[in-house]
Amino acid sequence: MKLRARFQILVLLLFALPSAEGASSGGPRRTGDDLFAKANTEFAAGNFKAAIADYEAVVGSGDWSPNLFYDLGNAYFRDGDFGRAILNYDRALRLDRHHPEADANLRIARDQTRSLELAPSALERYLNFATADFFAVVAAIFFWLTIILLILRPGRALWTVAGIFLIAICGFAAYRSENGSQGQGLAIVIAENTEARIATVDSARSVLALPAGSEVLILQERGDWNYAALPNDQRGWIAASAVEKVRLL
Amino acid sequence: MLMARRVLILALIAIVQMQSAFADSPKITAVLTSSDVVVGETVQLQIQVDNAGTSLKPPREIDVPGLQIHYTGESTQMTMRNLSISSSITYNYTILPEKSGTYKIPPQSIRVGKNNLQTPELTLRVADSPSATARAGSTRAPSSNTQAGEDKIAFAELLVPKKTGYVGEMIPVVVRIGFNSRTRVAEMAPPQVNGQGFTVQKLGEGERNLENIDGRSYVVFNYKTALSAARVGNFQIGPVEQKANVLVPRRSSGTRRKPFDPFNEDPFSDPFFALPFGGLMEQHEINVKSDPVSLEVKALPAGAPPTFSGAVGSFSMTAEANPKRVQVGDPITIKAAISGRGNFDRMNAPELSDERGWHKYPPSSNFKQDDDVGISGTKTFELVVSPNDKLTSVPPLAFSYFDPVKEKYVTLQSEAVPLIVEGNAPANPAIAGATPGPSAAPTSGRQQKAQDILHQINERGKIVSSFAPFYARKEFWLAQLLPLTFALGLMGWKVQDVRASNRAALRAAQLQHERDELLRKLRRDQLAPREYFSDASRLVQLKTALKQMNIEPATVDAETAARVFDLNAEQSERMRRLFATRDEFRYSGAGNGESALSSDGRRETLELIESLS
Repeated sequence: MKLRARFQILVLLLFALPSAEGASSGGPRRTGDDLFAKANTEFAAGNFKAAIADYEAVVGSGDWSPNLFYDLGNAYFRDGDFGRAILNYDRALRLDRHHPEADANLRIARDQTRSLELAPSALERYLNFATADFFAVVAAIFFWLTIILLILRPGRALWTVAGIFLIAICGFAAYRSENGSQGQGLAIVIAENTEARIATVDSARSVLALPAGSEVLILQERGDWNYAALPNDQRGWIAASAVEKVRLL
Repeated sequence: MLMARRVLILALIAIVQMQSAFADSPKITAVLTSSDVVVGETVQLQIQVDNAGTSLKPPREIDVPGLQIHYTGESTQMTMRNLSISSSITYNYTILPEKSGTYKIPPQSIRVGKNNLQTPELTLRVADSPSATARAGSTRAPSSNTQAGEDKIAFAELLVPKKTGYVGEMIPVVVRIGFNSRTRVAEMAPPQVNGQGFTVQKLGEGERNLENIDGRSYVVFNYKTALSAARVGNFQIGPVEQKANVLVPRRSSGTRRKPFDPFNEDPFSDPFFALPFGGLMEQHEINVKSDPVSLEVKALPAGAPPTFSGAVGSFSMTAEANPKRVQVGDPITIKAAISGRGNFDRMNAPELSDERGWHKYPPSSNFKQDDDVGISGTKTFELVVSPNDKLTSVPPLAFSYFDPVKEKYVTLQSEAVPLIVEGNAPANPAIAGATPGPSAAPTSGRQQKAQDILHQINERGKIVSSFAPFYARKEFWLAQLLPLTFALGLMGWKVQDVRASNRAALRAAQLQHERDELLRKLRRDQLAPREYFSDASRLVQLKTALKQMNIEPATVDAETAARVFDLNAEQSERMRRLFATRDEFRYSGAGNGESALSSDGRRETLELIESLS
């Protein structure tokens, strides 16, 4: 486990150096710092709606952080909007999958709403030990190692085939992680009494009642309706206003 | 010309006579439009006689206890195929079951010429239904009324099989609108059943039949629906009033009954044939109206079970649950299918007989109807439940309804489904096996206290500007420039290395070629001394350069060759003499020392050169 963690860190250090410029921690004051502090004060004073407005304003500025979404989730939780609380805890975990506070509060919020979660496939459960980023980076490493091997030892067919195989495996794992139940299409039900229906009209037959905070996987967007994969392997149409994607654009 | 026409007519008559003479023997068949029916619904019996040829006498009455069988008319069909003419007559009967059971319709005899044909025995299965309460009396439309107005052009009937019912009970209703077959319906909207205190299902598509009623042929449109009383009391259903535009043949005063048609059954005596063009029909707007029907609606009896939610009818239930091995808090989907006949629109999902230890989610439902009206079919409910404790089974589902035939409440119960619940984590509906966070205190099921969320974090932390995966960002692709540059450099070095290797190999090949040529010349023993020693020394230089690739052949002297080939003193001395002799020949002029090169000298020199390796 330690060896794997070290390997991940090494890989990310090697390949994420340029991105370090885009990220910073501490240092000079940044956009939204004052608003963030104000929102924290309002939260402490019990003015949750005002805190939500300020946190949302910081989110709107585009300078995101796991702690920002975690705090916003807490504000929604205190305000009784468990669907959006779960959505923001999920966002915090999406930016930092090892955010222990967000993970703990997410479980509490889900207990409150009895929300439904998408069942990951067997392959997704197996690939759950790492993220799509990790698999993409490892695929890149195998790619360059194979290229270097081809340059230095052009006759080593077995090594070349093994390299291509590993690239394909890692690329497929990255694709599955990105397009699976926890991938880019993941959305959270934020409205109460949401019904997934068989057609894009409110009077269509209900497929599944979804408590707030439930997970769905958006497959297709059509106007005011989204076609989504539902928990328990069902599919249906959900009003677009009732769900929000975890991943912000 | 006239003669030719007569011959043609006679020939046609002869062909028809021959066809009649060689016609197939008559056949009889009998079919039911449906072998399965419920009490209150009608089914058609059709007896068809093919190639009958002469007039027949069908059975007007078929007596089967429990079934009301009415003769409704006949139709004739003529077919001409390859100058072969065939005809068939179909006799139609309407069967109305009075009670449930399996009935045998006995064979019916029809005399055709000299033959006595018999229909096969038919079986009709009649299922029970709420409308079976009509068994006490005639179910055929006490409200039935043939509208004799409009000179028998049309009529309307409202058939309600029951006079009493219960609140919420679905009562099937048939609206019949008939038009004289000599008219044409130009325009007609679907009829409406009016009245207060009950709801009416949407009318299905009208079923069009040709019926013979009181000796007259009518095109009858049958509309099926069902009504459900909303409150207790005496209600009046209908009347059904229907407006329609029909085209009616104009009466012609010049048309008289033919003397040989005393029963007025000759179809050619119809005014339509006196004026056989459509333009001679006139449009009438007619209004037909049925009699109203009274219905007494009773309240449901007291003592309804707790799981009764308003379903009235006759139902059965099946249920299954999946998965059967779960963690505490995992969802289980229970599919309960309720089939039968009744008011499905007021039916709620069945309930767990014991809800302790379970968390329920709102159910969803789907109704698949088996008839046109929607009073029989299967309603499937999906209930999602999750266990809060380590339970051993999904408790039976309970569903109650009021049976208007038995006039009592019935409670259906499914079987308990064995279940394996693992783990004792706090009830969490999560399907995904997320690892619990460090702050998630483990509690058990219903004893779980309401947890509070963790504290607010005042540090904003690391700022990120995108949720996009790393490989979808430009940083990732910029980072690829590093290994790309390295790979390109490596490739350039490799190319240079290969080129250098190729040059060395080419040089070695040239040297080897020259060496072999010189060796052949020396072995031929025909060279002048000057050339011999020049070639011999050159050969030594080549072999030395081939032995040590970084040496240019021209720079090799006797000492270099001796060192490279590690020659002993005697061989080194001979090597020096070889190079000295060559220099002597080269620099002292041609002709000197010609006689000094003996055969032994040549052999010794050659041996020395060949020994170099």
